[in-house]
Amino acid sequence: MSLKNRLLAAGLAGVLAIALGASAQAADLIAIITPSHDNPFFKAEADGAKAKAEALGYETLVLVHDDDANKQSQLIDSAIARGAKAIILDNAGADATVAAVQKAKDAGIPSFLIDREINATGVAAAQIVSNNYQGAQLGAEEFVRLMGEKGNYVELVGKESDTNAGIRSKGYHDTIDEFPDLKMVVRQSANWSQTEAFEKMESILQANPDIKGVISGNDTMAMGAWAALEAAGRKDVIVVGFDGSNDVRDSIVAGGIKATVLQPAYRQAELAIEQADKFIKSGSTGLEEKQLMDCMLINGENAKALETFALTN
Amino acid sequence: MVLVRFLAAAILVASGLFLSGCKLVKNEQQASVDSGVDIFFNDKSFDPDKMANEMWDPKVIPYLEHKAGPFREVKVLIAKDPDEAGRTFGYREKEEGSPWNIVTHLDGKIVAAKTDSRAATIDVDMDGDNNADATVQIGPVIRGTALRDSLDFISFNAFTNQIDYARFGKSLNAQMAKSTLANLPKDLVGRTVSLIGVFVLERAATKPFITPAKISIGDKAS
Repeated sequence: MSLKNRLLAAGLAGVLAIALGASAQAADLIAIITPSHDNPFFKAEADGAKAKAEALGYETLVLVHDDDANKQSQLIDSAIARGAKAIILDNAGADATVAAVQKAKDAGIPSFLIDREINATGVAAAQIVSNNYQGAQLGAEEFVRLMGEKGNYVELVGKESDTNAGIRSKGYHDTIDEFPDLKMVVRQSANWSQTEAFEKMESILQANPDIKGVISGNDTMAMGAWAALEAAGRKDVIVVGFDGSNDVRDSIVAGGIKATVLQPAYRQAELAIEQADKFIKSGSTGLEEKQLMDCMLINGENAKALETFALTN
Repeated sequence: MVLVRFLAAAILVASGLFLSGCKLVKNEQQASVDSGVDIFFNDKSFDPDKMANEMWDPKVIPYLEHKAGPFREVKVLIAKDPDEAGRTFGYREKEEGSPWNIVTHLDGKIVAAKTDSRAATIDVDMDGDNNADATVQIGPVIRGTALRDSLDFISFNAFTNQIDYARFGKSLNAQMAKSTLANLPKDLVGRTVSLIGVFVLERAATKPFITPAKISIGDKAS
């Protein structure tokens, strides 16, 4: 915000100060901002954070930025305006988000990042992300095993503004590329989107009918690819995803998609709230800012124990 | 100042001037080629090979030599109290969601070798019953990031993102492979072996999967 805007705002603010002062007396507010809940992963995160925050006595403001960095910036403004005590954020771009989180920090509001990191430290209070490299290697090792170490395959990559797209692809290739008989024939981004993956898979199949496997950067794209393969009568194609969604669990149990990698998304969101609560009460989380959480392989052996991004016992 | 910020923010909402103070930000794009494919946010100015090479002899090896516990002792403590074993002989960067990385030294006999893969391994017997007590990676491809994750002076916080952190883990594995695994004999089964290495403490009591830091292969044991 420019100095001019600050002065303008300060000048005009007196009128509204009394009315807005009243709402500041209510329970402390935590803003929870994620990508669209169309992807159950983000919905689970938002639900997990909301439930934990309310259990700890906070009010919540749940918002979605739809992977639009400008919209995210506006949502951060409204969280600041509403006097939020903390922001839980699954962000809209590893570089683009730095300024938005800095803006919240300047307004005295700590941000707790989940799932996706930003390319800066010292700006967010915490960045709790899945160990995507470890998870991608697990998924890739299972993919290699299922493929019998040979054959043509397709890689569907996620959204480029998200370091998770890059790191998972790197984990896949650091493992798969050791096997010279596994040949990647197509590598395309479907931007984490189920519909986009469906459409791309349809045309990939037409041009490359000889594919044997598809490795996908997340579960929604795996679901889209599987739907296209099924529609084309190609249920023989091996599909491996990443996330651990209930949709993919059901597909694994029904003999469709072969495997995925569970990210502890629900727990991650709860953990962010616990750390935010500690920060609000004591001024510090007492932990390192960047925190990795290991992932787990999900296949036919343990899929049934999967529920809302957590393994039940 | 806080009051001014609060009021300033309040007026923005109240008057619907959401965009007045915002700068338009572009959704970024940046990619560079790594191991044959474009990886976004792969920062070419960061040289993980150099970092791994420079710290290997002066820092990594002395740290691991100091930290390592005798395999038998480590195993006994793991069975008794895994967290205590972790604290004594290992490291993890954080408590929840990260396993312990245990540092151990051992002497034994190679009872099996899987060398038809680029991620080759040997099975080592330590107690003389000819059954494998641990599996050891002998490369040239080394899986996982146990070496990196065992170092208490390396933190994820010091890296720009997961990609740089992963690249460093891989470089450390490559540095180890280059300095210690380069000239292993071909016929491994039956030889003695002595090593310092690291393994991830899994929840299930599985056979340790060790990434060596230093290894020496001896003659055939009688």
